[in-house]
Amino acid sequence: MTDALPLSVRGLRKQYRRRLVLDGVTFDVRPGEAVALAGPNGAGKSTLIGCITADRVPNAGEVRICGADPFERPREAAACMGFVPEQPFLYPELSVAELLRFVAAARRLDADASAAETARLLGMLGLAGAEQTLCRELSQGMGRKTAIVAALLHRPRMIVLDEALNGLDRTSAERLVAELDACRAGGAAVLISSHDLDFLAGWCGRGLLLPSPGTWRLLEGGDWDAWRKAPSLAPV
Amino acid sequence: MTTTGAVRLLLSLDARRLTDAVRHPRIGAWAAVVLPVALAAAGMWMAGESVRPDVSTGDGVILLGLLAAAPVSIQAYPILFRAADDAFLRRLGIPARALFGVRGLRLLALAVAVVLALMIPFVSTAQPVARPLAVAMAAAVAAWAVSLWAQARAAVRVGEGRRSPFAGFLGPDPQLAAAASLVYAPLYPLLAGAAAARFVGSEVATMPVRLAAVAAVSLALVPLAAAAFARALPRFAPRAGELAYAPPPDASGGELIVGHGIARLLPAAVQAARARDAVVLGRRYRWASRVAWPVSIVAALALLRGGRSPDLRTAVTLACGLLLVAQAGTVIALGRAERGRLRWLDRGVGLGAANRLLGRWTAAFGQGMAIALPLAFGWGIGVPGGGGWLWLAAAAVVAAVASLASMAAAGR
Repeated sequence: MTDALPLSVRGLRKQYRRRLVLDGVTFDVRPGEAVALAGPNGAGKSTLIGCITADRVPNAGEVRICGADPFERPREAAACMGFVPEQPFLYPELSVAELLRFVAAARRLDADASAAETARLLGMLGLAGAEQTLCRELSQGMGRKTAIVAALLHRPRMIVLDEALNGLDRTSAERLVAELDACRAGGAAVLISSHDLDFLAGWCGRGLLLPSPGTWRLLEGGDWDAWRKAPSLAPV
Repeated sequence: MTTTGAVRLLLSLDARRLTDAVRHPRIGAWAAVVLPVALAAAGMWMAGESVRPDVSTGDGVILLGLLAAAPVSIQAYPILFRAADDAFLRRLGIPARALFGVRGLRLLALAVAVVLALMIPFVSTAQPVARPLAVAMAAAVAAWAVSLWAQARAAVRVGEGRRSPFAGFLGPDPQLAAAASLVYAPLYPLLAGAAAARFVGSEVATMPVRLAAVAAVSLALVPLAAAAFARALPRFAPRAGELAYAPPPDASGGELIVGHGIARLLPAAVQAARARDAVVLGRRYRWASRVAWPVSIVAALALLRGGRSPDLRTAVTLACGLLLVAQAGTVIALGRAERGRLRWLDRGVGLGAANRLLGRWTAAFGQGMAIALPLAFGWGIGVPGGGGWLWLAAAAVVAAVASLASMAAAGR
């Protein structure tokens, strides 16, 4: 499984009732690279991410996360992936520290090592000192940071971020990007959706553009170079 | 992680979450739980003789069985497949069998709570509890096991795109027809609960033997249910969210109209809150109003024809009382849905707590009128001594308590 691509998507098709949202989407994400996912509201970015994270069942096509089908081998896929949803779920009754301890235990991480990694990630995102805060008392940005720590704690090979930079202050966003760069240097791959096209153009090496429901375009090589000079959501 | 280890971890998580109201006491959290529970328990206690099935007869035993099985049958689907943390836990790689184990235990806890609630009228009227307890417990356990099996099996069928042979009875909507197995799944535990109650209430062998037989058959179903659940979960759990998708409402009814009819007598802010709450309640919990009219009209007609019969009055009181409580539950659920998210709108437009409470109460009372009005009419004419107005009063009181609990649940 370790030799398999972090993410492979083939012929993905998804429709809600009669509305076609994804039609034959095909792309790979290779180790160490960051792939941008861009498109206007309602174009299908979150649906595509949902099909990758097994939160949506595609009508056709296949997804492999580190070689594992997330529907047939969900535990292998889960072990390989770290995901920050657009609206992260946090147990309102737990404190930040309790939530992250639970995540570490569920992922069978070594208690001491995960405690040290938790402290490092919390400090990196400026959450040091908020460990005992109940999740229901967190601001939107702090909640997102907690979800980011939970997603990165097990050092996943495939990191999927759905609008993950939304709500983060500038310093935290820069630190997160530095952390993601470090993960990429270690072989992890990143798929990131965002409406900040300039950021995507500057940081990612390729892109997947969804201009409207049912249409998609993989931007790489010359196409990507052309797009990053003048990022836009219009069909290329 | 082994299934046992994951179950232990999830149970400790549940314990931590359940004790939150104790560790971080808040008036709202307590009121939202204690008020409805106290109201339901007090109602069962005071109604006593009227709502207590006669377990010396076969019909009474079956009625008790149905009462014990119904909440378990209805709640099995949301407990098994609609947990708020379902996607989060699946993404952490928690084994499906561990999720099944914990959710099965939650459903069992609900079954036991229902049985205990059903014993209140027996205790309040100083009746022996052993026989009704055995009957209700057998029905609840049978309904629990059959619910687990039926829901898991239905999820497998829906997840794999297999249609129920009875899908055609549900009308032309292809999405509803595709989910037909789920629609019919609660019927099996309901029937199983009634059958188990009848069996345990019969004279075959001794009571312990009959109870042991029901328990053995029920427990034998659990491994089958666990296997089906584990097979279904990865593909069905995401679909469960999609099945909950509501298409845009049609323009034929239930539109938000401020200041309609008698509501025009209310202050403007209350009118707005009432109209909003009524529409949201009607759309979010459509079943609560859909089921009310047929039941209350049938009940009213039955009272007009046979209101002198105490048995009929007991059945009507039980059915309509449960409906009122269920509707109160939807009002409280509305408050829970608002918690921490939707309140900003009311704050932003300057809708004060008093206006919100009055608006919610009028919306809740309006919802309850579908039950109370026909019943008051039928009871007033068909029952010797009348007293139909008491149903209107009961609906008003239930709406008031539910609205208070709903506001408390909405929190800051």
